[in-house]
Amino acid sequence: MSPSPSPSRAGVVALRVIRQLKRDRRTIGLIVFAPIVLMVLFGYALSGDMSGVALGLVDGGGHDAMRDHIESVKDFSILHLGSESDAEKLIGEGRLDGAVVLLPAGVRVLLDASSLQIAAAIQAAVQAAAVAESAAKQTPGGMPVAESTIVTRYIFGYDLEMMDTVGPAILGLVVFFFTFINAAIAFIRERSQGTLEKFMVSPLSRVEMVSGYVLGFSLFTVLQSATTLFVVTSGFGVPLHGSSLTALLVVLILGAGALVLGCFFSNFARSEFQVVQFIPLIITPQIVLCGIWWPLQSVPEIIRPFSYMLPLTYAAHALRAVMLKGAGIADILYPDLLALGLFFLIFFALATMMLRREVD
Amino acid sequence: MNRIHPAISARAVVKSFGRQRVLDGLTVDIPSGVTYCLLGSNGSGKTTFIRTVVRLLHLDGGEMTVLDRPVSEVDEIYSRIGYMTQHKALYPDLTVEENMQFYAGLYGIGGQKRKEKIGELLAMVDLSGHRSRLAGALSGGMYQRLSLACTLIHEPDLLLLDEPTVGVDPRLRQTFWEYFGRLTEEGKTVLITTHLMDEAEKCQRVGYMRAGRMAAEGSPEEILRLAGLFPRLKLWLAQPDRDAALLRQEGYEAEVSEGIVQVRLESHARIKEILALVSPMDMRLAEPRLEEAFLLLSEGA
Repeated sequence: MSPSPSPSRAGVVALRVIRQLKRDRRTIGLIVFAPIVLMVLFGYALSGDMSGVALGLVDGGGHDAMRDHIESVKDFSILHLGSESDAEKLIGEGRLDGAVVLLPAGVRVLLDASSLQIAAAIQAAVQAAAVAESAAKQTPGGMPVAESTIVTRYIFGYDLEMMDTVGPAILGLVVFFFTFINAAIAFIRERSQGTLEKFMVSPLSRVEMVSGYVLGFSLFTVLQSATTLFVVTSGFGVPLHGSSLTALLVVLILGAGALVLGCFFSNFARSEFQVVQFIPLIITPQIVLCGIWWPLQSVPEIIRPFSYMLPLTYAAHALRAVMLKGAGIADILYPDLLALGLFFLIFFALATMMLRREVD
Repeated sequence: MNRIHPAISARAVVKSFGRQRVLDGLTVDIPSGVTYCLLGSNGSGKTTFIRTVVRLLHLDGGEMTVLDRPVSEVDEIYSRIGYMTQHKALYPDLTVEENMQFYAGLYGIGGQKRKEKIGELLAMVDLSGHRSRLAGALSGGMYQRLSLACTLIHEPDLLLLDEPTVGVDPRLRQTFWEYFGRLTEEGKTVLITTHLMDEAEKCQRVGYMRAGRMAAEGSPEEILRLAGLFPRLKLWLAQPDRDAALLRQEGYEAEVSEGIVQVRLESHARIKEILALVSPMDMRLAEPRLEEAFLLLSEGA
């Protein structure tokens, strides 16, 4: 009956969406900076208690002044260890926040890459200790330590810190949240402006229209995820062992899913205000159940099936695999990418069908 | 374009919302190549009718053809239809030109053709100087004009305009009507809904809707005649009673009130004949108003 979808008409819609978003400075600002604010917030909240830093100390001799200085820092609870490898192991298991290895040849600082705040505190204390020792370099038994002889090494443990496991998932959450809200509002506007009605009476099909939106929004999803990815990895020390392109692919499919979900739910809202009211209904369950904060295994069995219906569960899992374990596309294809793709297709179909129903 | 077949033909069309029959057996032919005006009070079914023509609403009963196609297939000829809703259907955060480019793109119009068409239409709606202004920053009337320009971008054969001239100043309205006239000369059909009687008088055909039916339909002259309204010639005469009697003898309907003789004119050509019979000091032609006709017709119903 109706002519086959035309990529060029979808492109016309995409171009328009890009033009609109480009002009909307506030939304652009939100897209780019809100993730940063969120990350900083989460970063501080999750990088652990600053008092009570568990620090390992391996005293190989030669730096008594430094040892005394470090031991005197109030916030540190010191665990004396026999060797550097012990310290490494304990940091890896998440039982220590860091370790200082004092050897006559130099000082080695082992830091947990996941908690930037604590790492910075430990480093500052070591620097201060080195300065204190330099001041006392003429005293017998003391050897001056130049800053260059302090070697810092980051440890990525198996049992990663909160921020490491949360970071990749937040990347997904941020994209999902903003795309959902922006898409739902965009479609509400299409309806209230009367443009949707006009589309219905034009050669533009519903499939072309929604596809156009997916294309147009994708550009901003890439922009947003690139920013967030940068902040997560360089700002918070979350490792990126896999390819950033693979991570972007996951986020793009998730974003496309969020867009069609927003389009679908816009049918149930009469105003932008009502879209905001969807947040507790659509966003919150994902945050709680997707396994960002606690493992899925700890979600009660009765509601666990819901976790497996939410796209963010798969996105969080896939992003963790890519960023922390260096997984490639083949590793996350099943079930994560498949589930995300399926979610997108189902809601793409529902969204286009609902647009049709609106007519009558 | 085929001038014999009507652009829209509706037969006993019914559309209900719940228990309310908004279109209640509407039958009308809208000929090709004319400007057709749908009149009627609020809630008489004008907008509902237009929405059934473009199949935004499905009929509950009756039959309809649009551009010689059954209305069920109208989505295949959307590119031949221009539809302007009462919502202006523009993007306030795009510029005037970007709005037009977007609609051109939807209809696959690009390149030089798009440039020319946008230039022509912006000139027609007097917005050439506002190309790069955001649509949201335009005044109500300008917004309306841009909406019309966007509706015309793909040169549709059938134009459906739901109250296109609301908020448009009289001078520009005149331009619109001249443009509609040009379109109908090219064989295109323009269907307009309006509350403004003076606009209806400019249309070739007028349909007056009441309670979901066509209460009266025809050219403005036909409607006036249907309501028994004719132009009247008011004559100031030295001897009104004598001259009125003279005119009556000649078969004219003439009456005297307050010393002024009023003669009913079957056609304007009669004025010359009347002036051959009497020599007035002053005279005035009183054209009947469609408004009166519709008032009379609704009272008669």
